[in-house]
Amino acid sequence: MTAPPAQRGRRRVLATTLATLLSHYRRHPGQLAMLLLGLWVASALWSGVQAINASARDSYARAEALFESRLDRIERRDGEPLALAEYLDLRRAGAAVSPLVEGTLALTDGEGASRPRVRLLGIDPLTLPGDSPLARRQSSGEALRDWLLPPHRLRAAPDVAAAARADPRLPPVEVDASLPPATLVTDVGVAQRLLGLDGLTRLVIAPRAAAELPATLVRIPARQLASPGQLADSFHLNLTAMGLLALVVGLFIVHAALGLALEQRLGLMRTLRALGVPGRSLVVALGLELLTLGLAGAALGILSGVALARLLLPDVAASLDALYDADVGTRLALPWSYWLGGVAITLGGLATAGAGLLWRAARLDVLALGHAQAWRARLARQQRRQAVAGGVLLGLAGLVGLWLHLAHGQHLVAGFVMVTAALLGVALWLPTLLGGALRLAAGRLRRRPLWQWALADLQLQLPRLQLPMMALLLALAANLGVSSMVGGFRVTFLDWLDQRLLADLYIHPPAERYAALESWLDAQPEVATLLPARHADATLLPDDRRASDAAPAPVALFGLRPAPVLRASWPLAATRDGRDAAWRALEGGAVFVNEQLARRRAIAPGDAIRLRGADGNVHRLSVAAVYPDYGNPHGEIVMPVSRLARQFAAPPGSLGVVLTADATHRDAALSGLHERLTARFGPAVSETLIDQHALKAESRRVFERTFAITAALNGLTLGVAALALLTTLLAQADARLTQLAPLWALGVSRSRLVAAQLGQLAACALGTALVALPLGIALAWSLVAVINVAAFGWRLPLHVFPGQMATTLALAVVVAALAALLPAWRLWRMPPRRLLQEFAAT
Amino acid sequence: MRHLRTLLAGVLVALLAFGAWRAWYPPAGQDQADKGASEGYAGLGTAAEGYAEARPGGRLAFPADHGPHPDFRIEWWYLTANLTDAAGRPFGIQWTLFRQALAPPGTLDEGADSPWTTRQLWMAHAAVSTPTGHRYAERFARGMAVPDARGQAGVTAAPFAAWLDDWRLAATDGADTGLDHLDVSAGGDDFGYRLRLDAEGPLAIHGDHGFSRKSADGQGSIYYSQPFYRVAGTLTVDGDPVAVSGRAWLDREWSSQLLGPDQSGWDWFSLHFDDGAKLMAFRLRGAGEAGGDYLSGSWIAADGTVTPLDDDALRLTPLSRTSVAGRELPTAWRVEVPGHDLAVTVQAIQPDQWMGTAFAYWEGMVSVTPVDATSPSARHGVGYLEMTGY
Repeated sequence: MTAPPAQRGRRRVLATTLATLLSHYRRHPGQLAMLLLGLWVASALWSGVQAINASARDSYARAEALFESRLDRIERRDGEPLALAEYLDLRRAGAAVSPLVEGTLALTDGEGASRPRVRLLGIDPLTLPGDSPLARRQSSGEALRDWLLPPHRLRAAPDVAAAARADPRLPPVEVDASLPPATLVTDVGVAQRLLGLDGLTRLVIAPRAAAELPATLVRIPARQLASPGQLADSFHLNLTAMGLLALVVGLFIVHAALGLALEQRLGLMRTLRALGVPGRSLVVALGLELLTLGLAGAALGILSGVALARLLLPDVAASLDALYDADVGTRLALPWSYWLGGVAITLGGLATAGAGLLWRAARLDVLALGHAQAWRARLARQQRRQAVAGGVLLGLAGLVGLWLHLAHGQHLVAGFVMVTAALLGVALWLPTLLGGALRLAAGRLRRRPLWQWALADLQLQLPRLQLPMMALLLALAANLGVSSMVGGFRVTFLDWLDQRLLADLYIHPPAERYAALESWLDAQPEVATLLPARHADATLLPDDRRASDAAPAPVALFGLRPAPVLRASWPLAATRDGRDAAWRALEGGAVFVNEQLARRRAIAPGDAIRLRGADGNVHRLSVAAVYPDYGNPHGEIVMPVSRLARQFAAPPGSLGVVLTADATHRDAALSGLHERLTARFGPAVSETLIDQHALKAESRRVFERTFAITAALNGLTLGVAALALLTTLLAQADARLTQLAPLWALGVSRSRLVAAQLGQLAACALGTALVALPLGIALAWSLVAVINVAAFGWRLPLHVFPGQMATTLALAVVVAALAALLPAWRLWRMPPRRLLQEFAAT
Repeated sequence: MRHLRTLLAGVLVALLAFGAWRAWYPPAGQDQADKGASEGYAGLGTAAEGYAEARPGGRLAFPADHGPHPDFRIEWWYLTANLTDAAGRPFGIQWTLFRQALAPPGTLDEGADSPWTTRQLWMAHAAVSTPTGHRYAERFARGMAVPDARGQAGVTAAPFAAWLDDWRLAATDGADTGLDHLDVSAGGDDFGYRLRLDAEGPLAIHGDHGFSRKSADGQGSIYYSQPFYRVAGTLTVDGDPVAVSGRAWLDREWSSQLLGPDQSGWDWFSLHFDDGAKLMAFRLRGAGEAGGDYLSGSWIAADGTVTPLDDDALRLTPLSRTSVAGRELPTAWRVEVPGHDLAVTVQAIQPDQWMGTAFAYWEGMVSVTPVDATSPSARHGVGYLEMTGY
């Protein structure tokens, strides 16, 4: 198998060419490291964000997919546990119900050491409806026997498996990665023994299975069970948007790093060509180099992206967990697409950076050494082309935005296209904008020659600096946009908590004791206001006056008491005659509709809607206001609770209690009330009492942690941008000497030159940051008002935080200064001999 | 400057290495792999230490023996019926309750009043075969540790009732008439039935006073049948009721080790002939001497007289195979009992009668036609065929 001589010769030329090209890195190992670092960090950032996202989604899906959330529940109306006989009677009557025991278990290792508290579920695998993950896994005979007979088996989520193994009371442990965190599952009898329970917590049944229930039991459909649903989805979507931004920034970094590494070897390439290396061999050699570097960078990036996600994930997981009660595991589950994403971004950056260079290498003009003027002219042309492309992109963004606005559309892809086009468009315009600003500033500095020189010199550097500055721009805009988005998300969420958990206490009494409890509570001295709430279902009928094609649709009815304390905090998104008038109208017979329903059915304040209650009666109601209802996928209508109970036969719901006591006496008032409540109504009622103060405090604390994570990821994005800047500055440091040496020879000290250099960079970065501010705000607006609406049908309010904007400006300058520090330090320490050499060379 | 560069490069390489190391955690714990399959079909060949052993020489005592025998490992109440609708089209039903002990008697502390401490697992299968299709369902339950009408599943002997959930085979009107008059009902998502059974003949006790040998090594079971039921009632398929009538056959059997360890499965026939005679016959594959098949059966005359049939008195020959549920199953047989002038072809009425349950098998209605229709002893008939372990 010997190749023909011509082919062998070509291979030898290729090998020599490749060796020569790579020898550049032997002389400049720092440059190779920098290049790899750029590739590495860019893809690591992408992989990290994606890994967190993927894992959070997966865990959320696991929690959702667990048998419970898909199954209807059957409970006793009085809230007591079910007796075994009640369950068996239902089974023998043909109802496909399955028993469930649930409780909190404090694990122990037998030596009194502190162990986590876990959720323990007891199931009966023989009757659990078959499409749930737990039921499926019991199919083998041996496994079933082990599960049913002593010592039984216990399945543990990975995070608590070790602690469960250490507990001598528990059956042998099997790890089950499909369980939500801090969850143990065992046989129903074992769970009863461990939890000290006699009865069954509840029964579960497949949603489609029919069951005739005695009057003492109530069936709760799976869809009515509390689920954070879309609020969590929205958060994940915004994380995805952040991942997309990381992708764009990463592409710029890779582009910059590679472009510079190759630019520096143009001379070398010309020499190679002059020595007779065919253009094709040169291009192939360069391509091989690019591919090798890209794969190495991508591999490193992926590995460290996973590491990054591991570092950040516990916090992300904890925040989602407590916020939405959506347990997120700390186990990483990465689909292949996410791994490939890291490779794709690196290779994509390589392709864009490398293609232009390969093209240039292919048509390399052997004689074109030192055509500086021609080069400048070409750059000017390039800048014009960039400006035109940027304009086209911005126009596209505007058109898509307009279309989205007009179409009231739920077009997620269009939303992302708009955001990306706007970001890239502004980035392409950046050099033009900066150049204009520099010309403007230079005109005002005629009296200060050194400053004027610095500005003119900066103008000269601009073509090289434009790429890292674009990266900085995008990083800053992403930083600002995502911070605003997360900040706004936090404010909105807390508002929503306030709106929905307004009272200090909530009680869910059994239906038959509701009225007695309500009047008793009303008479207690600690109670300032009672906020009863009820829920009912109704059907929204199509408008008979408008030619509407909407079919009758189910809506949820929510009854509240419009007490002053509730009015003050309940947000309204749109009213006809102001808030007070809207609340008066509500008491006078009107209703409020949530934003989701208003958007879906194009309902505005002043419109009338027709509702058919469960009894078949149709009610015609006028809409007084539209209120925001974050995270609720369904349409909802609010009316006074008394009317809901009367007209729609809503069963008793919860009772909110606003206490009279101030914060200092709150605990005493609370425990006093709890004591008397237990004495009067028994523990079955008083145990349903929830102190939502603590709940809210916990949610708030957790959101601060989410903030910290956002900051960490943002910091990384900025770090990457700084790295690109540093690479550029280091790469052009030698070339810069040609400009600096004459000034030094004229008597400008090295320290002044260093100061001028730092000033140049800081000014450039400040200009970039000033462009980034409006871009960041526009980005945040797009995220909350376009993308969120497109995805979910409701918008998050836009919050702008001036402190954040100031921080962004400062950050830009600091980043630029940091990047400039190393080259400046080198200049400052430079022996005069080296500067003199500049003249010798020319 | 070179030092600085080298230092920087070194730091970067160290950073890269650290990142790679951080990413390289050992994989998370793996689930314990499921243990290997049990011996023989459905674990029925597993050794039965600690359980009562089915032996020859005992006497059946009714009605007590209609009830459960918890000290034996396995037991079943197995009803099949060959039915026709008003147009004469063939239908079939199956109603089966299996009891399986998960642990030998006396090894568990069984609380009397809880299903969660019992060692008895109950499993029920129900099926309807139509002229062209097959519907089936299965249910599982733990009964009360002591048989108790409150349990999710169980059997009481007098008055007779066997049930799992609302699937029920029980004496009509709760009368204490043994197995003579029963009501049976069961159903799944897309089928159901409710039938009345009336026995027109006595119980048929198989083998040696009820001990039915199942291999040359001596394993066996206690086995009797009620093959003389007349049936009438209603089936529901996809919500459409069909009035049906016909004949049914109830098998009662319990054992602790039904198969020898090398036996792979069985082919089991219960045939009704139009002259009133019945045939029970089975072939246990790999159970005979030197690894051959083990054949046994009972000839039940129209008056209920039972003649045991051994290996020499019975011939079962697969004729052709059909691909069902990815397996090759012999759905046509020649069945010969020379001592009773019987030579018939037994053919599945349609091949799709596969029970895709946790323990899967083929159970379906068959037609019986004489090999030589001109013979004076030519017999026609219907029946059920069960094939396991394929």
